[in-house]
Amino acid sequence: MSMEQRVLDRGAQLLQSLKPVKQTKQHACTFALYSHDMTRQIETHHFITRLNQDFLQCAVYDSNDAHARLIGIEYIISDSIFETLPTEEQKLCTLMRTRFCNFSSFWIKLGLWVNPGVPEMVMKTEMENLAKTYGKFWCTWQVDRGDKLPLGAPALVMSPQAVSEGIVRPDLIEKRNIKYNVSIEALKASRVEIAEPEWINPLADYWKQHGKGFSVDIEPAEMKKRAPFA
Amino acid sequence: MASSDRSPGPMPPGNGAVPPGKPMTIGQHVLDKGAQMLQTLKPIKQMSQHVCTFAAYSHDMTRQIQTHHFVHRLNQDFLQCAVYDSDAPDARLIGVEYIVSERTFETLPPEEQKLWHSHAHEIQSGLWVNPRVPEMVLKSELNDLAKTYGKFWCTWQVDRGDRLPLGAPALMMSPQEVNLGIVRAELVKERDRKYNICTDDLKKSRVDILGPEMMNPFADYWKKTGKGFANGIEQIQMKLRAPFP
Repeated sequence: MSMEQRVLDRGAQLLQSLKPVKQTKQHACTFALYSHDMTRQIETHHFITRLNQDFLQCAVYDSNDAHARLIGIEYIISDSIFETLPTEEQKLCTLMRTRFCNFSSFWIKLGLWVNPGVPEMVMKTEMENLAKTYGKFWCTWQVDRGDKLPLGAPALVMSPQAVSEGIVRPDLIEKRNIKYNVSIEALKASRVEIAEPEWINPLADYWKQHGKGFSVDIEPAEMKKRAPFA
Repeated sequence: MASSDRSPGPMPPGNGAVPPGKPMTIGQHVLDKGAQMLQTLKPIKQMSQHVCTFAAYSHDMTRQIQTHHFVHRLNQDFLQCAVYDSDAPDARLIGVEYIVSERTFETLPPEEQKLWHSHAHEIQSGLWVNPRVPEMVLKSELNDLAKTYGKFWCTWQVDRGDRLPLGAPALMMSPQEVNLGIVRAELVKERDRKYNICTDDLKKSRVDILGPEMMNPFADYWKKTGKGFANGIEQIQMKLRAPFP
């Protein structure tokens, strides 16, 4: 970027209030898998705004540095709101629970979702709440397959799950944990008490029951014509 | 299966709030503030510009919306925007727009270019504004942006009454100077009143701003074909994992 550009950006930034962006209060690092190809697993950085006690909206990036690429949007809703959705919509959602508390198995590490820089105990209540939520995540830039620019249609992305295709590769988790100095012991201690949900909607994580993912196709469509001006 | 151009069915019940849900608790506020103080949130801090403009749904350009882009310039040829439906603290995050320079756009294959739109008219006509920033400060930026192309996915169709983000993402198009691309006068007036500006005056002051040297024939594809794009969601057989080593 040119120096002139930087000065301009800074100038504009001082004059404008940027309120919606200032509501972004949390950074979380976690993992996600493409719905149509769950062998493609990515580390994601969610920058989260809570709109109310049942709804969060996240700008998702591929890293947490100043040059991070904005790769998609995830919406997170409480289980009570999720249950009000039409069934076709529920199929596009993913249970968040496994990001917070995987079940024990010697090769699964606990705690895929972490808030870098924030002590576990500070986030404990938040983790308990979020473990009961469902997410819907559209990836608009598939950086992991080498796209230098955002190409094609958005892809539906899933949360890790504790079974088969949903399990995140241990090497990805380890690399992330080292980078962010994540203490596995601290995670285990704080998350072991996260309760089982009373009910998990069978339509979320649709692939688990049906072995099928979702892909988005772009079709030409006849455009609606404008009504004459009043 | 759900698609971007079809209404998603009956709305979930509620008190009409968008989105539905209980107000935040005090405890939640305290927690959020605590987390915010401990984290740097670098990518978010790079969003240095707020732009207010208009867009229309590719599959139905009678649906025109006011948008609020929070813009992060990654380099001289590329910008990424988190797009909201207002500039208030409770604004809803409704999509993502990517903006590329003319020379970057020319490297894309035609099938990809058809998903993109030009910005020349939007800027020249004064529809694109940076609220509260004097025009003179912006002049060189506007000159630059008038030659760019954008790709905008809308993930939450608030304008059709969706209280939650439903269905597939919808491709959006930019205002243009012809028929379906013309933004309705009352939308522009409402926006002007809110920010105490006059779009017509801006247009006069931008008369020397030029668009791309050669307008790419695949951008704003609807102008040639009368067809937009709608997204459908298909179920497909998943790729299975290779066995663990």
